[in-house]
Amino acid sequence: MWRKVLVLTLAVVLVGVAGFGQVKNPDTMIYLPFGSPESLDPHYAYDTSSSQVIFNTYDSLIRYDHSRIDAFLPMISLEVPTVENGLIRDGGKTIEFPLREGVKFHSGNTLTPEDVAWSIKRGILFDRSAGPMKLLIEALSGAEYYGIRDWFEGFSGMAWSDAVTQDRMVKSAEAREKLIAFYNEVVDPIVTVEGNSVVFHLNRSYGPFLFQITHYSSWASIIDSQWAIANGAWDGKADGWWRWNDLHPTETPLHTKVAGSGPYKLVEWDQGNQRIVLERFEDYWQGPAPMKNVIIWGVDEFSTRKAMLLAGDADLINVPNQFIDQFKNIPGIRAVTGFPLASVTNIHMNWGVDPVSEYLGSGKLDGRGIPPDFFTDIHVRRAIIHLINYDAYMEDVLSGLGKMVPTDMPEGYLGYDDTLPKASFNLALAERELKQAWDGKLWEVGFVMPALYNTGNMMRQTGAEMLKVYMESLNPKFKVNVIGLQWATYLAAGNNNLLPLFFIGWSSDYPDPHDFIFTYYHSQGTYSEWRGEPYRQFLRENTDALIEEALFEPDFDRRAELYRTVQEIVIENVVASPLYMPTGIQVMRDWVDGWWYHPMRSPELEFFFLSK
Amino acid sequence: MTAFIIRRLFLLPVVLFGVTLLLFTMVWSLGSDRLISLYISTPEAMKSADAKQRLIEKYGLDQPAIIQYGKWVGNVLRGDLGYSMSSHQPVLEGLLARLPYTLELTIFSLIPVIFVGIWLGVKSGVHHNRPLDQGIRIFAIVGWSLPDFVFGLLILMLFYSQLGWFPPGLYSLATEQAMRMDNWTHYTRMVTFDAILNWRWDIFLDGIRHLVAPVLTLAYLWWAFLLRVTRSSMLDVLSKDYIRTARAKGLSEKVVINKHARRNALIPVITVAGHMVVQLMAGVVIVETIFTRPGIGTFSARAAQQLDYFAIIGFAFFFSLILVIGNLIVDISYALIDPRIRLS
Repeated sequence: MWRKVLVLTLAVVLVGVAGFGQVKNPDTMIYLPFGSPESLDPHYAYDTSSSQVIFNTYDSLIRYDHSRIDAFLPMISLEVPTVENGLIRDGGKTIEFPLREGVKFHSGNTLTPEDVAWSIKRGILFDRSAGPMKLLIEALSGAEYYGIRDWFEGFSGMAWSDAVTQDRMVKSAEAREKLIAFYNEVVDPIVTVEGNSVVFHLNRSYGPFLFQITHYSSWASIIDSQWAIANGAWDGKADGWWRWNDLHPTETPLHTKVAGSGPYKLVEWDQGNQRIVLERFEDYWQGPAPMKNVIIWGVDEFSTRKAMLLAGDADLINVPNQFIDQFKNIPGIRAVTGFPLASVTNIHMNWGVDPVSEYLGSGKLDGRGIPPDFFTDIHVRRAIIHLINYDAYMEDVLSGLGKMVPTDMPEGYLGYDDTLPKASFNLALAERELKQAWDGKLWEVGFVMPALYNTGNMMRQTGAEMLKVYMESLNPKFKVNVIGLQWATYLAAGNNNLLPLFFIGWSSDYPDPHDFIFTYYHSQGTYSEWRGEPYRQFLRENTDALIEEALFEPDFDRRAELYRTVQEIVIENVVASPLYMPTGIQVMRDWVDGWWYHPMRSPELEFFFLSK
Repeated sequence: MTAFIIRRLFLLPVVLFGVTLLLFTMVWSLGSDRLISLYISTPEAMKSADAKQRLIEKYGLDQPAIIQYGKWVGNVLRGDLGYSMSSHQPVLEGLLARLPYTLELTIFSLIPVIFVGIWLGVKSGVHHNRPLDQGIRIFAIVGWSLPDFVFGLLILMLFYSQLGWFPPGLYSLATEQAMRMDNWTHYTRMVTFDAILNWRWDIFLDGIRHLVAPVLTLAYLWWAFLLRVTRSSMLDVLSKDYIRTARAKGLSEKVVINKHARRNALIPVITVAGHMVVQLMAGVVIVETIFTRPGIGTFSARAAQQLDYFAIIGFAFFFSLILVIGNLIVDISYALIDPRIRLS
């Protein structure tokens, strides 16, 4: 009896196996990244997995011209605003977008200028903590504010916490009045509808504005306001807007739904399975996409992604840099490498570490640690940047997928100049600098110094280990401790000014030099916070004014000149210490057609252009 | 028996309270500076000066652990285990959505683990110290020694990459499309069981096809364990007087082994197998990851990696619940199987 059952079971399984062998999916494009979206709400999302879906389901006013970052094409707007065509006026403060007619949302509703205005205003008012809307708020407020709450406080003179409770309820009649006035006088006039155009009114001309609202800036997606309001999003009114501020993902109807007009509609987001299923939008204004279905499936294990690609069950996969060699010369597989990415990883030297930091050792120049202001000495900084073998690093650690840049700004950005001096590997120079550091005392007494990185990041770890090897080879009294910290600990230590020397990077939100130059070289930039008061004081005295001037300068050539000057200053003073600019990789089956990279999108994909 | 069950059920809230309070205190002792990393995956998120403070206030990270715990307990009583930032959905919803996948894998793994494990254990015991026994023991030691991620990847490479037989995931594209049709009903969220209930044998086979590789991986690792328990128990029983008596009565060796020895040898094995169900459910993290099966194992692993504290505590709460109830069922079944045992 049991034998019969066993035989029958085996037969059933084998029939199943035979019946499902070699499944082809000619109508479906399958992409395997890792992870899954944080949220599908364009005003909440601030991660690449979410953007991947938003790029394909929502449209924006304009888009980049193919792979370029310095030229645009119209999208929902009929024209790209320029001074020449009269759509940028008032010295860059007024920007008009005449809209395309007859564009349909997935719901069947027609896209109107009111949808565009609502989308922008809803995003500003939404402004979730540590979310993306700070970018647009910065642009629209003339770089005076980075958050709606600060903006309200600046306008009304009332603290947000005095106006609105933690549960987003208004605290008093006075607060309500001020909140409503803020909307009516500040937010509402920012975007107006004029005929079939939307017009932005900026406080000041803002250099990177067009980058902020172009496609791939997911926060500037155009949302079907009629659908969204009907499903519980902000109702478009001044009274009560604060109830939609800083929502939790579960509180926004757009978290798991899509209300866009893009080439694909959302069929399903299976959060457990990390699987997004998209279906072609037949009424797309540019015509239907070539592929009927798209599956974006977060497969966390690289070996599984690779196996599925080799078996033909996936068309494109995400491949970490260190595994790229595994895809060379495999029939049927195409690996594209070397295209630029808008990111830089760097060595940071903190000029004023909090003396309580456990990473300072003795905290003195006594051979058992380093003093908090160790890196204020330019000789130490110069030595550090000579102790990385950059060529070997690019070739062996990055598998050739990286490039050295002069400062902490990617290649191709406005003001980027490849002829500026770059850091170089030179042990003799490093030794000479270290002998001069701290008036010669450093060479005599030695030191114990940490080189910190976040655990799991092999590139940063190897950079730290390389620094250790070469530094310790110079003098037996020099000791470098390579320390890996979990991301939570690393972040906390960085924010609290506890890290003396550490490796970290920055990825671009928009391809304007301001995004990098401000972050690194302005006294209020994110990383200035991590590098101590003496560092910020240096920036206040040397670069802040130049960076602020460049931000509001409408003339591109002048802007480029200003950014070049900033770079010269930071190179001369060894404020800049880039390790590498990564270059991208994309691995796919050779039957995939239409793929092209864009520094602001890659490794994400725009499926409208793909076919097989 | 009833009193025993009631007593054990009364213990449940105490266990849950102890586990969650301990975890909550441990997590909260990390401090707001570390807890905040859950909400900031990249430095870019810190661009606005007030981002950190807003997050701390929004999520109450600066409040004492006991206050946060009190809030959490209040929410749990309303059926809300918090929001998981790592899986991007409410914790309870996430766990319930993933439980069927883990349960399905566990059920299908148990079948070969128990039947093959016991069968091999009996054979090994009967052929004590003979070549068959030695061979089975080597087979067991290899299985017990193999790291699951190594064996799993080998299985994946062989049966999927090379032979193309058993793909990862839950189902094929065709099945996915079929399951979105109006005539498909999700009864259990377990592909194979739903396929049977929907009377779709093609989908059942597809589900089985996607289960073979992870089941084989889990089964081989657990065969060794059950085999050794069965073998020891079998050797113990075979040395008993009643076995000698049965043989002296002239019963055939087949009857002695099958009717007298094996049945008695299985009592401790059943207890172990009961606990194994719970252990299997807990131990599927790696297998689920390799074979891209979105169960509670991958849920908890991802939560731990990202310090997703509500998900970690929610998972512990949920799993403690399963553990206590699972152990209770094992104890009861043990008493039912062996009348000599009294639950007191």
